[in-house]
Amino acid sequence: MAFVEQLISNLLYGAILGSVYGLATMGLSLIFGVLRIVNVGHGAFIMVGAFIAYWMFILYGIPPLISLFLAIAVGMAIGLAIYMLVVKRLVDAPELASLLAMFAIGIFIEEFAKQIWGADYVGYSWEIGGVSMLFTEVPFTKLLAFASSIVIAAVVYVWFRKTKIGKAVRAVVEDREGATTCGIDVNRIYALSFSLGIGLTVLSGVLVTLFTPVGINVYMGGEYTLKAFVIAVLGGLASPWGAFYAGFIFGLIENGSYTLLGLIPGVEPFGLTRFLSSVVLMLVLLVKPTGLLGGE
Amino acid sequence: MRNYTPLVTLLLIYAVMIAIGQGIQGMWQPIMLVIFYIAVGQALNIFLGMTGYVNFGYVALLGVGAYGMAVALGYYTDLGLIPALTLGFILAILLAFIVSMVVGGIALRLRGAYFAIATIGVNEGIKYLILGGKIWGGSSGIVLSGILRKAYGAETMRFLSTVFADAGLIVVAILSGIITMYILNSRLGYGLIALREDEDAAKVMGINVRRYKQIAFVISCILAGLIGATAWTLKLTYVFPQDVFAINYTVEAIVIVMLGGAGTLLGPVVGGLIYALLKYYLTIAFPGMQLLILAPLLIIVILLFPEGVVGYLAKAARGTRFEKFVR
Amino acid sequence: MLLKLEEVTKRFGGLVAVNSVSLEIDEGEKVGIVGPNGSGKTTLYNVISGVYAPDGGRIFFEGKEITNLPAHERTKLGIARTFQVPRPFGSATVRENVAIGAMFGRANAGVDEALEMADRYLEMVGIYELREKEAKLLTPLEKKLMELARALAMKPKLLLLDELLAGMNPQDINRILDLINKVKEEENIATIAMVEHLMHAITKFAERVVVMHQGSKLIEGPTMEVLNHPKVVEVYLGEKLKIG
Ligand SMILES: Nc1ncnc2c1ncn2[C@@H]1O[C@H](COP(=O)(O)OP(=O)(O)OP(=O)(O)O)[C@@H](O)[C@H]1O
Ligand SMILES: [Mg+2]
Repeated sequence: MAFVEQLISNLLYGAILGSVYGLATMGLSLIFGVLRIVNVGHGAFIMVGAFIAYWMFILYGIPPLISLFLAIAVGMAIGLAIYMLVVKRLVDAPELASLLAMFAIGIFIEEFAKQIWGADYVGYSWEIGGVSMLFTEVPFTKLLAFASSIVIAAVVYVWFRKTKIGKAVRAVVEDREGATTCGIDVNRIYALSFSLGIGLTVLSGVLVTLFTPVGINVYMGGEYTLKAFVIAVLGGLASPWGAFYAGFIFGLIENGSYTLLGLIPGVEPFGLTRFLSSVVLMLVLLVKPTGLLGGE
Repeated sequence: MRNYTPLVTLLLIYAVMIAIGQGIQGMWQPIMLVIFYIAVGQALNIFLGMTGYVNFGYVALLGVGAYGMAVALGYYTDLGLIPALTLGFILAILLAFIVSMVVGGIALRLRGAYFAIATIGVNEGIKYLILGGKIWGGSSGIVLSGILRKAYGAETMRFLSTVFADAGLIVVAILSGIITMYILNSRLGYGLIALREDEDAAKVMGINVRRYKQIAFVISCILAGLIGATAWTLKLTYVFPQDVFAINYTVEAIVIVMLGGAGTLLGPVVGGLIYALLKYYLTIAFPGMQLLILAPLLIIVILLFPEGVVGYLAKAARGTRFEKFVR
Repeated sequence: MLLKLEEVTKRFGGLVAVNSVSLEIDEGEKVGIVGPNGSGKTTLYNVISGVYAPDGGRIFFEGKEITNLPAHERTKLGIARTFQVPRPFGSATVRENVAIGAMFGRANAGVDEALEMADRYLEMVGIYELREKEAKLLTPLEKKLMELARALAMKPKLLLLDELLAGMNPQDINRILDLINKVKEEENIATIAMVEHLMHAITKFAERVVVMHQGSKLIEGPTMEVLNHPKVVEVYLGEKLKIG
């Protein structure tokens, strides 16, 4: 029965990791939903968040949960700067232009980071004990990541539903022109949404570090870009909530299939899981480009 | 009417480059680097430039082409040199064809940004299929130098990896240019321009947009496969998944196409020249910082010169006697 | 019979843009299609030309069912249209735009032939001197003329014009109406349908008129009879009142 136990504990782990995946995809979906811009440089911003967590911990011993606040502030500032310098001019340009620009921005951030932080893998470990559940020992750090993801997603949700500006953002998602005629300053909504989208992404990078003890590297984002797109597409691409739920599902599928692929002799399950991610991405887009969960 | 005169300009540029490379000591290496980048741009341009669709998985096609050649030379060495080489080209073309038919067949049903998203996973997908499935040596790749030396002799191997590889790449580069010129002058080219500008209107004008996109995609991918087979496998005599699926080649190809002018014949040539020389000397001046410099360059080109150098020149030349030579 | 619609319906979410419309158009006809804003005229064209698949009903062209035929294949059979909001291929020249019509429409011309045809049709609509210009640089009026040339170059059997004359001055309107009447004979275009708000253009052109109202066909018949019909007057009056 060792296999079943392993599968169950991997699925548990998948659900926990999935919450972080979900959070890490909300920014991507928010930006696409509001601005119709595809942030193909997404992973680079996760990497920035990961380094914020790393340096805060290494230099000042600040635990990642506190770094979350710094991360969202830094992320929103970066997002605003990118919006003002580049994205603003591309909102109405052909898709090709904004796709390539976001791609280039992602690469620029990675290369810039490499100049300051080097290309080596680094990591830190924040040990605060754990609890035993479902055949496995779950560290508190991961449970905290799980809880923070849900709390943050809920805060964003409430902000969208209850505040005036959140409602304005939703109005723009639903009907750009209509929103303009209602007196909403669409440009400000764009700036805010882009900035918040990047902020959330950087923030999620902090939580990602709780799952990759020695996996912090300037090129770590590529993997998350791919995952984020699979998740975003599962969730309907334009819906942050769809993305959050889809994150859970993806976490479960990923860890479940990892365990199952491990049964096949002569293959390397980690690599094949990534291969399957790209197949899933393409197939989901093919079958239902509006997302399996229907979006909003 | 149909105008093939820009080919004169194109061939002239190649002639000058080859003359410089052969005539001036130490110039052959940078010239071949330039030709490599021109070829990479030329092949991508046939899809990205003409359809306006972004293929983020581009480098994967160079990768499978490289593997096609490596598998033939490494696993079918006993066939003899000429048959193994021939098989290598066939496999490179065949693998690129299969990948492009599968990826295109699925992803080209999607429009614009959705297509681009679908291709994000292609490169990683194939790379990790090879790594995870331990196919063709998995992470240890295929190393040919020993095999080739043993089977055909050191002299032949040196000839293969220098003269033959370079000549092969030059042929592929020029071939890409000729195909581009042919497409630009054909119904296919007009159809592609139409669908790039307005896909729905193009459909109503009678253009089978799915088919046209697929044709452009497959041509672009097969040429990319041939570049991988010559410039990488033959020239370097080894193939590693980490090298041939390196995303920076996709970026570089996009930069070259955009810089030179998407959808033009001479764009990738000019873009490739500027880019490769920049890279060659930047690498010497600022090692390891090419991408750091390139990324902002791409952004600037997109924001300020969306038509690229040749797009701009072609407009400026309109109505002058140079008009015929620029496209 | 050239075109036949059988209870064609097209919905956008909850909105029924075209509601069970049946319509027959014969070879040789000149049909006017009128109706207030949003009554479904353009959507009807979109369904006929294959931009949208209908949610219900069937469409026949020359007796052959085309309901599920993709747009580009319908074009090959001889359906051509202009767009209410012009859709030029912006970075191509005016001449190339028209040549694209000749290449991929029913004319199915080769490149050289298509470029020659383009010149001829540009001459015909009166914008020959603009042929080397990038299409996106044209004025809205010039774009409409280019669309007309592009549609004519396709050598259609059925030509669908969508508010081609809107925004033109009276001289241009008369010139284009004369031109359309002339090309119908010269170019052997079997049937032309014209969506238009300008009633005097409709009376001058159409022999038969179809009136659309809220997605349904309100009434059809000989032009003068229909336009003076109390129902039609009421619909248009209602519209005017709404605007005022
Ligand atoms: N792509 C679409 N998505 C959603 N609704 C649409 C779409 N196209 C048209 N509609 C709606 O369908 C209805 C009919 O529109 P249509 O454009 O066919 O009217 P029309 O008769 O051509 O009007 P006009 O005289 O203003 O051109 C309108 O209510 C319009 O808003
Ligand atoms: Mg209309």
